[in-house]
Amino acid sequence: MSGRPSPGHKPRRRNKAGDGHHLSNSEALVKAPAFPLASFFWPARGSVSQWELLPLILMVAAPFHQPRDLGTCIETDHETDQQTVSLWLGYHKPPPYGDYEAQRHWMEIATHLPISQWYFHDLQWWGLDYPPLTAYHSWLCGKIGSFINPEWFALYTSRGSDDADLKVFMRATVLVTEFLIYVPAVVVFTRRYSKLNGVANWSASMAILAILMQPATILIDHVHFQYNTAMLGLVVASMSSMLAGRFLWASVFFVAALGFKQMALYYALSVFSFLLGSCIFPRINVLKLFGIAAATIVSFGILLLPIVQGTLSDVKNGIVARPDLEEPPPFPIFAWLSDSLDRDAAYYPVVEQLVQMVHRVFPFARGLFEDKVANVWCSLNVVVKLHNYPTELLQKVSLLATLASILPPNLVLFFKPQKNLIPFAFATTAWGFFLFSYQVHEKSVLLPLLPMTLLLAGSHGLSREARSWIGFANMLGCWTMFPLLKRVDLQIPYAVLTLTWAYLLGLPPTSLSAYFQEGQGVMVQWATVMLHGAFYLAMVSWHIAEHFVRPPPGKPDLWVVANVGVGVVGFGLCYLWCFYRLLVEAGFISQMIPTVSKKDKAKQNR
Amino acid sequence: MSHVILVLAAARPDATRPRVQWPKRMQLPENVCPTTPEAATWDPSSLNCLQHHPNRINICRSEWPRDAIMGEQYPSVTQCALLAAGFKVLLFPAYKSTDFEVHRNWLAITNSLPPWEWYYEKTSEWTLDYPPFFAYFEWVISQVAKLVDPSMVKIYNLNYDSWQTVYFQRFTVILTELLLVFALQLFIDSCHGAAKRAAHTAAISVILSPGLLIIDHIHFQYNGFLYGVLILSLVLAREKSGFLPSGLLFAGLLCLKHIYLYLAPAYFVFLLRAYCLSSKSVFRTQWLNCVKLGAGIAAIFGVAFGPFAAFGQIPQLLARLFPFSRGLCHAYWAPNIWAMYSFVDRVLIFVSPRLGLPVKSEALQSVTRGLVGDTAFAVLPDITPRMCFILTLLFQLIPLIKLFQRPTWDLFVGSVTLCGYASFLFGWHVHEKAILLVIMPFSLIALKDRRYLSAFRPLAVSGHVSLFPLLFTPAEFPIKTVYTIFWLVLFLMAFDRLAPASNRPRFFLMDRFSMVYIAVSIPLIAYCSLIHQMVFGETYEFLPLMFTSSYSAIGVVGSWIGFMVVYFTS
Repeated sequence: MSGRPSPGHKPRRRNKAGDGHHLSNSEALVKAPAFPLASFFWPARGSVSQWELLPLILMVAAPFHQPRDLGTCIETDHETDQQTVSLWLGYHKPPPYGDYEAQRHWMEIATHLPISQWYFHDLQWWGLDYPPLTAYHSWLCGKIGSFINPEWFALYTSRGSDDADLKVFMRATVLVTEFLIYVPAVVVFTRRYSKLNGVANWSASMAILAILMQPATILIDHVHFQYNTAMLGLVVASMSSMLAGRFLWASVFFVAALGFKQMALYYALSVFSFLLGSCIFPRINVLKLFGIAAATIVSFGILLLPIVQGTLSDVKNGIVARPDLEEPPPFPIFAWLSDSLDRDAAYYPVVEQLVQMVHRVFPFARGLFEDKVANVWCSLNVVVKLHNYPTELLQKVSLLATLASILPPNLVLFFKPQKNLIPFAFATTAWGFFLFSYQVHEKSVLLPLLPMTLLLAGSHGLSREARSWIGFANMLGCWTMFPLLKRVDLQIPYAVLTLTWAYLLGLPPTSLSAYFQEGQGVMVQWATVMLHGAFYLAMVSWHIAEHFVRPPPGKPDLWVVANVGVGVVGFGLCYLWCFYRLLVEAGFISQMIPTVSKKDKAKQNR
Repeated sequence: MSHVILVLAAARPDATRPRVQWPKRMQLPENVCPTTPEAATWDPSSLNCLQHHPNRINICRSEWPRDAIMGEQYPSVTQCALLAAGFKVLLFPAYKSTDFEVHRNWLAITNSLPPWEWYYEKTSEWTLDYPPFFAYFEWVISQVAKLVDPSMVKIYNLNYDSWQTVYFQRFTVILTELLLVFALQLFIDSCHGAAKRAAHTAAISVILSPGLLIIDHIHFQYNGFLYGVLILSLVLAREKSGFLPSGLLFAGLLCLKHIYLYLAPAYFVFLLRAYCLSSKSVFRTQWLNCVKLGAGIAAIFGVAFGPFAAFGQIPQLLARLFPFSRGLCHAYWAPNIWAMYSFVDRVLIFVSPRLGLPVKSEALQSVTRGLVGDTAFAVLPDITPRMCFILTLLFQLIPLIKLFQRPTWDLFVGSVTLCGYASFLFGWHVHEKAILLVIMPFSLIALKDRRYLSAFRPLAVSGHVSLFPLLFTPAEFPIKTVYTIFWLVLFLMAFDRLAPASNRPRFFLMDRFSMVYIAVSIPLIAYCSLIHQMVFGETYEFLPLMFTSSYSAIGVVGSWIGFMVVYFTS
């Protein structure tokens, strides 16, 4: 913390000039912080080392991530006891419990049942429907939890448990998982990405805090209940390995992300294009390509190994995967397989197991969209009743539209596998997926938001233009999740977390400072203000209307539909902005907006 | 960490040299903040001195000359208060102690009964036992409360906590805390030059104080508001013109919560010497000032107690305010002399058979209970309230003698702090929450120079760690620990950079002591919160409490002694 190193102390590593360890001239000359987050970091400018700052940042972020069991008081007051737990997620109405019970139940299954029964056990009660890494993670958490209190995860009797300590434990597992995976990944990524872009450490530290305080992620994982940050963290780790040039690790981390939640598929094409592109351009490197392919296959193998091995040993010990059925039914999907395979062969249980896993993980049988979600299909449904069309057709159209939206950015990434393009391409692709693909959930908006928010660490990431757009996407993303959060009475954390974040980054509705900057064309400036202003206005008035005006009896979902309609347009804009920035960064088009940096350069040259 | 460097510097051979007496012109006048920008331009002759003096080594490390020039400080107090408020709203559903019900009950009492029944009402066991101004305050709040949720203000609705009630009451805590923010802003404005920066940091440290967070926003009380009044009154006393308002405000504070009576001796002596007596001679009285102050105070007490006096309720009111029937130590162990005393007593139980000391068998019962409610000592002599009172007063009087001789603002705040120390350390039935009585005024002067800071450091650690047992629910464990550690790391680091070197030599023992002391807190917290439960489970649950309070007691006593020395040598 000393401004000057003590005489006997030599810095371990001398940094090359301009690698961002110190503030650039233009930044040091700034007289006043541009937004509140910068003022909180103001005393740390220049002299404070990043290693002193980092623990503080994490300690600030942590309490915000620990939603102190927003249950205990809010819940019991509103609802009857039966529904208490459902406040976490009353989303799946018929069985009264939500994601919380699902996760708890998987811990119960994983710790008590032989591995071959995991994907078969009582599918009506929150059957396991995530890839194996989630199951292993549940096993680990379940083991630790059972060590503390065996009743929490007792088979059958623990169903729907409402134990207060259990809640604390479950919350703690989310927090610990996040701090073991997501937080280190974000920190490392931010360091690398900001170094790549020549961003000062001070700004990078701000970006870390801004990313960790991202309201959407906190709301879904900690206030609601899920383990998205584990998957997102593995994706960030994969991206960060790409930045470091460790492509094998990148593929390993990405496979792990896929193995945690299949939603990581949103990024798959970008990972693929980048890795393939970097093997081909600037010159073809076959060895690298094979290395990456091998690493991917091997990590998939390791991922499935416990299941395969467990199934084989269970069969050997006479444990049946589905003890409730005498005759194994044909495969739910790939029905042709069950006819062509020999049911008594040694490999049959393994195939059965894997098919069941795929069936559970990818519910093809469900509709185009499930609930009200701000993507194209759901909003289109308001105008054109999509249910009247055959599912086959809808699936094809959806596939085509998705491909059309994600191919262009990935082609850019493929032909120009530059490291600084990674978050742009990831964000664009994920937006495309979110808008056009099949079976999207509100919570999937976390996926495009993550790489987009990571852009805060990039060059001019905290500039007003980037901040206004990244902030816009995040605010809109949280806003579209409001109906989901409202169902479980989480309006207050929603309001506090989003407003805090908006306040820190100087965004509407707390401030307009992100929109008026020197050196930007007046036209562009006003265009952005009008555009974003319209959306912010819509969001605020929607909240007011939703709170005070009861929808007409014929249209009970009016506000949700309005939310979806506004959301989808805004997300479309975010998609376009990310794609535009990608093209600019890749050098395909020149920036239409004269940036501040050019002026600065001119000033410095003088 | 720079106190490592500091200790290293202290360990250098020249530390043992005979202390250099500073040339007279280097000694800064008392009331001028010691690090004005002018002071940054040392003349060459003093630089020579600077290199030789162990205390001066640190001065080049702080970069105040650069920032001292800049007018604005970031982050501003408002920004911090806003962010903190957001965080506190998130804490709405957190654990709340019985104090929540206490205050709800007071809302109900003041709202549904006429004032002459307030101090007689006893439907709930949590009777009104704060002075009248606080009751008026509750009455004002209750006017809004009944609009929010009418059931909240029903006396028979014991333990009522609908979410409206929780939100409303917690929100009033955040809202009334704005007074503290305002007072701190005034405090910053009252400083000039480089000291403004130190004051700014100190103010932010108070706003973000984990003590207030734990006590007010989780445990539930209105300390932020009350300490806002106290700090406002202290800041007003900085200017001569503010003496009268300061005194009156303090009188008002006494009518809000009588715990501040512990600080009253310092106010009394300060106002007596600086306001009522002539600055030139002790024997000349400023009669006009005396009349103004006396009349003002009488008016305030009249407004507070007059209505109750009119109904002849003063004895009942006093019985409520001063329940002497309670025991020496509170149910928890406040980290004071008596905690150490009972710790020694517990140890002596095991040792005394060998020493041949008599052990009182009836007292052993309370040993098994662990928690000291009505403390009976097994080996050591019992303590009476009278002894506590005499000791408290004695240790309050010692610093007041100096204040009487030199009634400066710094010494005034110092003596308020020392009064807080004495009452906390020797008082009867002290609650650990009372540590704020010491930390709050001390925060205002902790950055005066490095010697003050070295006395403040162990207090900051022990005072906050001692609050941990207040929150025992597992859900609040991460918040209280992470937030407190965050605060300690951030502000001890920042204070270290900001506190200017003293013009008196430090005592190096103090720095070592505080280093070791701070380091010990980490295994202690780990033991009390995790390891103990894993090893012993539910048994011996008094052990963590005892360790925490004994540890904290060492810190508080250590910092008290350190600050006494600083106070008397500055």
